Amino acid sequence: MKTGRVHALAGLLLVVSAMAASGAARAASPEVSMSRTHVATSIGEELRFTSLIANPGSTPLSGLVAHLDVVSWDRDVYVDPEDWSSERTRYLPPLAPGRSIEVPWTVKAVNSGHLAVYVTVLGAGPPDTGPALDARVASRTTIDAGGALPLAVGIPVLLGIAAIGVRRRRPR
Amino acid sequence: MAVVARQELRDLWLAGRGFLLAFAFSVLLSAITYLAATNEALNFLERRESVNLALQVAVAVGALLALLVAADAISGERERGTLESLLLTPMARASLISGKLLAALSLWVGAMAIAVPYVWFLGHQVGAAGEAILIGLVAGTLLAIALTAFGMVVSTLARSNRISLSVSLFVLLALFAPTQLPTGAQQGWAGELLLRVNPVTATLRYIGKVVVDQHAWTRDLSWLLSPLLGAVVLTALAVAVAPRFITLRGGALG
Repeated sequence: MKTGRVHALAGLLLVVSAMAASGAARAASPEVSMSRTHVATSIGEELRFTSLIANPGSTPLSGLVAHLDVVSWDRDVYVDPEDWSSERTRYLPPLAPGRSIEVPWTVKAVNSGHLAVYVTVLGAGPPDTGPALDARVASRTTIDAGGALPLAVGIPVLLGIAAIGVRRRRPR
Repeated sequence: MAVVARQELRDLWLAGRGFLLAFAFSVLLSAITYLAATNEALNFLERRESVNLALQVAVAVGALLALLVAADAISGERERGTLESLLLTPMARASLISGKLLAALSLWVGAMAIAVPYVWFLGHQVGAAGEAILIGLVAGTLLAIALTAFGMVVSTLARSNRISLSVSLFVLLALFAPTQLPTGAQQGWAGELLLRVNPVTATLRYIGKVVVDQHAWTRDLSWLLSPLLGAVVLTALAVAVAPRFITLRGGALG
C-alpha cells in the first residue's frame, strides 16, 4: 500500500516536472546579438549595424517588437534618442523555432562622448536586451567658425550704414 | 502700375523702412549662421542641414516681411488719410494694387539677396550653395507672392490698419504652426495632407527634400502645388476682386 503511494507520488512529480519543462520551452526568450560591439566615429556621422534576433526555443514567437535606445556613460551629456534615429521601433514578423532575423539600424551620432547603443526585444515575457554597441564619438567642427565672423558682422554693418545714410538723405 | 510701383519702391526703400527691415533680417541670419558655424550643439548637423536651416529661415522671414508691407498697403493709406488723394488720381484701382504688390515683393527680393552670402558660406564647400539659392528663390517666390497677395486682400477689406496687420500675422502664425508638430503627427496620410495643402509647410518641406535629402528638383515638385495655387488664386483675388472693395472706409474685416 505504502509502496503504491510512493509510486503514485513519483509519477505525479514526473508529470509535473515534464509539464514544467515543456512550459519552459514555450516561454523561451528571444536572443539578441549585435553585428558590432565597438565603434569609433565622429559627431554627425551615421552608424550602421545589425541586430540578430533569434528564437532558440521550440515554439514560434510572434508579436515581437525590437526597440533601439541610446544612453551616455557621461552624466553631463543629455541624450535624446529621438535625435539619433526617428525609426527606433520595429515590429518583427513571427519567428519559427530555431530561426533568426536580422534587423538593420541606422543612427546618426548627434552627441559626442562615450555612449552605449542597445536593442531590447519585447513581446515574449520580460524584455530581452542584447549586448550594447560601445560607441566613442569624437566632436568635430564642420564649418570654419573663423570665416563666419566677418560675414556675420559685415553684412549687418553694411545694411545699418545704408539705413542710416538713407534716413539722413531723406527730405524732411 | 509702373508709376505706383516706382513711387512705392521709393517710399519703401528711400524712406528708410526697407533698409531697417533688411538690417534686422541680416542680424537674424548672421546669428543663425554664426551659431551653425561655432556652436557644437548645431555643428553636428551636416553642412546641408545648416544650409537648409538658414535657407528656411530666410524664406520664412523674407515672406513675412513682404506680407507685413502688403498688409499695411491700403489700410495704412486709409488710416494716414492719404488714400483719398490716391483714389483721385486717374489710375485704375487694379494698377494701384498691382504697383503696391510689386513694391511689397521687392522686400522679398531684397531678403533673398541678403541671404545669398550666408547660404553660400554654409554650403559652398559641399556644392550645395548654388542649388539651395536657386530652389529657395523659386519656391520661396511662390510663397512670397501668395502671402503678399493675401496681405493685400486683407488690407483692402480691413477697417483699420491694426486689424489688417493682426489678421495677417495670425494667419501666418497659423500656417507656420504645423512645422512645430512632432514628427509622428506629420506622418500618415492626414499629416502629409496637412503639410501639402499648407503653402508654408509645403514650401519648406520641398526645400528640405532638395537641399538635405538631395532629391532631384523635379522629384517632389508636387509639393509646390499649394504655393503655386496660392500665388495664382490670391494674386487674382488681390488684383481683380479686391480693387472693388477699396473705399475710404474699411470693408468687411473687423
